[in-house]
Amino acid sequence: MSDSLPVDRRRFLKVLGVAGAGAAAASACGIGPEPTERLIPYLIQPEDQIPGTATYYATTCRECAAGCGVRVRVREGRAVKLEGNPDSPINRGRLCARGQAALQGLYNPDRVAHPMVRNARGVFEDIDWDGAIQRVAAKVREAQGKGIVFLSGTEQSSFGDLVDEWMKQVGGRRMSYEPFAFEALRAGNRMAFGTASVPAYDFGNAKYILSFGADFLDTWLSPVEFQNGFSRAHAFDAGRPASMSKFVYVGPRLSLTGMNADEWIAARPGTEGLLALALAQVIVARHLARLPADASRLSSLLAGYAPRAVAATIGIDEDVIVRLAREFAISGGGLAVAGGMATQGPNGAEIAAAVNILNYAAGAVGTLVKFGADLAIGSTHTFGDLTALMADMAAGKVALLFVHGTNPAYSVPGAFQQALGKVGYKVSFSSYMDETTAACDLILPDHHSLEQWGDSRPRAGVTALQQPVVQPVFDTRPTGDVILKLSGKTGTFEDYLQGKWRAKHATNFDQYWMDSLAKGGIYTEAPTRAVRLAPSLSRISFAAPAASGGQDQDVIVFPHPILHDGRGANKPWLQELPDPVSKIAWHSWVEVHPDTAAKWGLATGDFILLKSSFGAQKFPAWITRSVRPDVLAVPTGQGHTAYGRYAKDRSANAFELLGAQANDYGGRNFGVRASATKTGEHRKIVTTEGGPRELGLGTTEVLPLARAKALHPGDHPFHFEETPEYAKEAVEWWGERQHEKASIGNYRGEHPRWGLAIDLSKCTGCGACVTACYAENNIATVGEELMQRGRELSWMRLERYWRTDEHGNPQGAVNEPMLCQQCGNAPCEPVCPVYAAYHTPDGLNGQVYNRCVGTRYCSNNCPYKVRYFNWYNYAERGGQYEAFPEPLSMLLNPDVTVREKGVMEKCTFCVQRIRGAQNQARLENRNVRDGDIVTACAQTCPSEAIVFGDLNDRNSRVSELAGNPRGYHVLAGLNTKPAITYLARVVAQETPSHG
Amino acid sequence: MAETQAPPPSSRLTYDYVTRTIARTLGNPTRGYFLLLGAAVALLAIGIITLLFLIRYGLGLAGYSHPVYWAVFITCFVFWVGIAHSGTLISAILFLFRSGWRTAVYRTAEAMTVFAVMTAGLFPLIHIGRQWYFYWLIPYPNERGLWPNFKSPLIWDEFAIGTYFTVSTVFLIMGLIPDIAAVRDLATGWRKKLYAITSLGWTGANEQWRHYTRGYLYLAALATPLVLSVHSVVSWDFAMAIVPGWHATLFAPYFVAGAIYSGCGMVITLLTPIRKLFQLEEVITVHHFENLAKLCLLTGSIVSFSYVTENFVAWFSGNPAERAAFWYRAFGPYWWASWTMNICNGLLPWLLWSKKVRTNITALFVISIFVNIGMWFERYVIIVVSLAGEPYTTWTNAVYNPTWADWGIMAGSFGWFFMWFLLFVKNFPAVAISEVKEVLAPPRRQKARAGVQHT
Repeated sequence: MSDSLPVDRRRFLKVLGVAGAGAAAASACGIGPEPTERLIPYLIQPEDQIPGTATYYATTCRECAAGCGVRVRVREGRAVKLEGNPDSPINRGRLCARGQAALQGLYNPDRVAHPMVRNARGVFEDIDWDGAIQRVAAKVREAQGKGIVFLSGTEQSSFGDLVDEWMKQVGGRRMSYEPFAFEALRAGNRMAFGTASVPAYDFGNAKYILSFGADFLDTWLSPVEFQNGFSRAHAFDAGRPASMSKFVYVGPRLSLTGMNADEWIAARPGTEGLLALALAQVIVARHLARLPADASRLSSLLAGYAPRAVAATIGIDEDVIVRLAREFAISGGGLAVAGGMATQGPNGAEIAAAVNILNYAAGAVGTLVKFGADLAIGSTHTFGDLTALMADMAAGKVALLFVHGTNPAYSVPGAFQQALGKVGYKVSFSSYMDETTAACDLILPDHHSLEQWGDSRPRAGVTALQQPVVQPVFDTRPTGDVILKLSGKTGTFEDYLQGKWRAKHATNFDQYWMDSLAKGGIYTEAPTRAVRLAPSLSRISFAAPAASGGQDQDVIVFPHPILHDGRGANKPWLQELPDPVSKIAWHSWVEVHPDTAAKWGLATGDFILLKSSFGAQKFPAWITRSVRPDVLAVPTGQGHTAYGRYAKDRSANAFELLGAQANDYGGRNFGVRASATKTGEHRKIVTTEGGPRELGLGTTEVLPLARAKALHPGDHPFHFEETPEYAKEAVEWWGERQHEKASIGNYRGEHPRWGLAIDLSKCTGCGACVTACYAENNIATVGEELMQRGRELSWMRLERYWRTDEHGNPQGAVNEPMLCQQCGNAPCEPVCPVYAAYHTPDGLNGQVYNRCVGTRYCSNNCPYKVRYFNWYNYAERGGQYEAFPEPLSMLLNPDVTVREKGVMEKCTFCVQRIRGAQNQARLENRNVRDGDIVTACAQTCPSEAIVFGDLNDRNSRVSELAGNPRGYHVLAGLNTKPAITYLARVVAQETPSHG
Repeated sequence: MAETQAPPPSSRLTYDYVTRTIARTLGNPTRGYFLLLGAAVALLAIGIITLLFLIRYGLGLAGYSHPVYWAVFITCFVFWVGIAHSGTLISAILFLFRSGWRTAVYRTAEAMTVFAVMTAGLFPLIHIGRQWYFYWLIPYPNERGLWPNFKSPLIWDEFAIGTYFTVSTVFLIMGLIPDIAAVRDLATGWRKKLYAITSLGWTGANEQWRHYTRGYLYLAALATPLVLSVHSVVSWDFAMAIVPGWHATLFAPYFVAGAIYSGCGMVITLLTPIRKLFQLEEVITVHHFENLAKLCLLTGSIVSFSYVTENFVAWFSGNPAERAAFWYRAFGPYWWASWTMNICNGLLPWLLWSKKVRTNITALFVISIFVNIGMWFERYVIIVVSLAGEPYTTWTNAVYNPTWADWGIMAGSFGWFFMWFLLFVKNFPAVAISEVKEVLAPPRRQKARAGVQHT
């Protein structure tokens, strides 16, 4: 029998082997189906882990000093998503893009994986933990009495206390350093009120907001908290029927905060204080507000600052000042804030003091500005303290330096680096190879904040707890444990922390501890402390700096709203998130006004060499009307010389332009004079902004406040655009047929129609939703090169349209989040030849990734252009465009497919969350309730602009908003029947706006 | 069958002379031929290597950028489908209209058609993201239990192209039978065997001719509607979408006219060198070229008229999106492409009003090259520019630039096409022997020597 077979067994196996090798080669080439992987069940299942079910842990975000509470979604031992903790009074369940991206810090592929020591040849080599700790102990003994310094970031925490105790024990001192430490604000508060603390600001109850360069939506103090409050105050209809607070921004350029203003006053840089005093003068002189008891002092103090006297210096009309003062005072809840770009010059403290006087005159101090609930950042050391330390270091007075949670070698390049060279021994606790760590002798990598115990006191009354949510990814150790060991104490930092807490609350401690952990901390209201005008106030000169001549330009270095002081630069989500204003990603830029650009013959993308007396750097020009003609503005954040693959050697470091000397009030001058020369080089800037910059064809609607107020329920001011008269009959006929179709087969019965309402009055364009979407939906980051070619996969994008005055100058912007509209009559669906794009019975435009062959017809036919194509295999191990290099892949959401090359992807309203909630409801034998399902974008939005729900449920929040007279559908004239209702932006301003 | 006038009489142009002249084209290939063939194969190799790269690394190697998701590949697809059109037009429609002049040129046109469709058909496979799943687009009962979406114009396309390919191939092969038989009788060696098989036992008997002519007529009648339908369906890939610049009822006739225009241009481009290289001046005369030029003039004028209509309608409709799209097309970053298209297709045909130009083969050759360029750019403008400047969401507007991968695949397509064409003209009669004879004066008995064929 076997003889008759043409193939014998040996030959058969040979063929099989070759065929198998061929198949393996084919799959190795990335074509054909993915190889099968095995799932291994838990041998011993952890008690709180159910495979396939997420566990949430409350902890605290440590990406900035604001101390927002977060809940970490953990699946099978991996942290996959951060969400705001609704219990936290700071962020009220919301989170910003930087907070979302903390995960990419945890799973960063460039973390220092184990302790390292610099060897004799000057290169780092591995060392074991015991050896490392012994070495530190020896160095501490050696250095005692010769100067030991522990340099940390803002640490108002038990960890900070532990470090203080240890430093006291070894005769050293702890210093804290933040590149943006609000020294001007603290000095201004001391000048005006005699206290250097930073108060809490209540934006939510303000009726008129006046910002003197304070970017409270992006980088100023506590952005999520302020954005949330701002949205409640400033959004039309939010809490107060048919009303909103007006927001006026004073500053040399429009920041993320500035572009949300109703009016932009581009005062001459350095004169913001004069404007504040002039406003106060009008209020006091005309008795526009109920004046405080010591008003007589005020009127004498302000006598020299009548609008007529200062208007020319400030560069605006006298009657504008009077109008602003009137509006501010009459609103009965005016809040003025100072900071950011306006207070980073040599007279920043005076400006902050002047704004304090304005608040005082208008009665905001004590009501909206609350001393007592002081912020932690106020207790950070100043830049002046750092320069003193650097002087000590340079003089050889520091024998041993510990660095933890801060990176001064990047933000004070040159000077700090040099001073560091004179320090005997440098130890870094950083888990990343940043510039400072790279210059140290020993690295004892700390756990990431999501891996360790801790707490922090972001403001008086709030103690936020921090607990480990995952097993450590690398061979790192909590610095607290290391210090305990060094100081000869027993136990771990967890014990130390509990001990601290036990001291405050001994009775029934275990219950108290568990409750606090579940809530994420202890939240109380700190009592407000009354402040009075300081007696020395009258001695302060508020004179504006003399207008400087010469060829040099005023250059402002401002904190990047997303990368901040550079700490975000190693996280690809943040690199790929376009700057909210310029829409530029992956590199830095210099903002140039078109008039200046015309004078110099500059085009967008041309490089300018900025040369200050401290350093020189090249930046590509971004030409925009959102900056004053006499000012150039540069963001920080890029230009790292270390700090991992995503940050290193990328663009230029703006800190290089700045001096390393502190100014009078101990702050740093972020405005410098620099010569600007065109280098002749050019680059294509990486921007997501495409075509003409005007408002689109009825895609973005703006209503003046008066018109919005006149709207009644049932009005439809935007409906005229939906169907032109001549097409009405045809469209209605078509609609009926569609309706008939929707009532047969699968589509029959009581299905929900999922929908979204986006209030453009609330949306600030901060970008938190974009990063949340990346995190939830495993969206690959494509990198600078591909993004330049328009290949980012951002399912949610923020379109920023300027609102301009009659001269074409921007007065602010409208931000429109654009995502799949889940059309009821979707153009993408019929054109797909393989039904990869199809309509689900609950009204979603589903996308079957496994079925997609990639004809891309759907995207061509999508008028919103919200479908994105996988040009490469971004998940390929070791591929050129690998988006999730180990261990970054650990944050992938197991509920969402990782798409392969050649398929189209798009937003499906977080369908995994919808199905999850439906399954949960089915288990509990009930219907899905309104609010059960929250999409990732809606969940994180700090201004609560996005609401998700069932449009077929008449009682849902979303259907109520969909019926709002301000509601409209984008490109409704195409009869696409979108499921997203946009609510028109309402602008409270007097100057006419186009749009 | 033809009743129109015969070409200018020539004493040498006898049945026998025709057979031998045309059969001579099948003689031993020269060095020049091998150079040409080598060049074509080299281009094809570039294309194949590029394709392997695309499959391995992804379509990202091409220049695509959001929202330009169709670009050079689809441009080439439509270009080659367009080229394919004049073949059937000349062989089928002109056959039905009894245009005698077609006889000398139709074989070339028909071969061109088949090879152009073969080329075009590759692009939908190359351009999709997951090329290895191309068969999901094909409707057949399968174990996945899934059918393609018959609402999608891409599926219509598949049918249109498939049908066209089948019919035009059958048409070509059928027309070849008597001619293969003719060269069979002259051939020696392996070729004799090849022709003996491919001539399907043709003897030239009356009965065979009767069936042949009937069959040919019916096939011509069957193929005629295809000339109009194929490119209409291709145009619906665009017209059925809502993209301004695509969404127009004009598209079907506009595309058909453009296709014939480009096809005639390509026929002139191909015939000129063939005529020269194979010394067919007496068989393919200036008269033939002039007629092709007239066809170009007619279809070119329809194309120009369509351009005017498109722009007029964009303005007249008052639709801001349409207006913006056409403004962008003419004055946006792609103005150079649009004006190349307008000049090559809109203005150049006007030169053909002059008989001097129409009868000057050098001039016609040059014009035909520009017709090809113009028609390629027409598709580029329609596809790329409409997507790049899509006026609904101007925020995402982007300028697209092709890369080496785009050009590599395009070069490969030219290599593929010319390789087949060169192999064809060397192995099969490039001019229809039997039909050329039809329009000659029948030979007198005493003059007839041992002719291979008697009609």
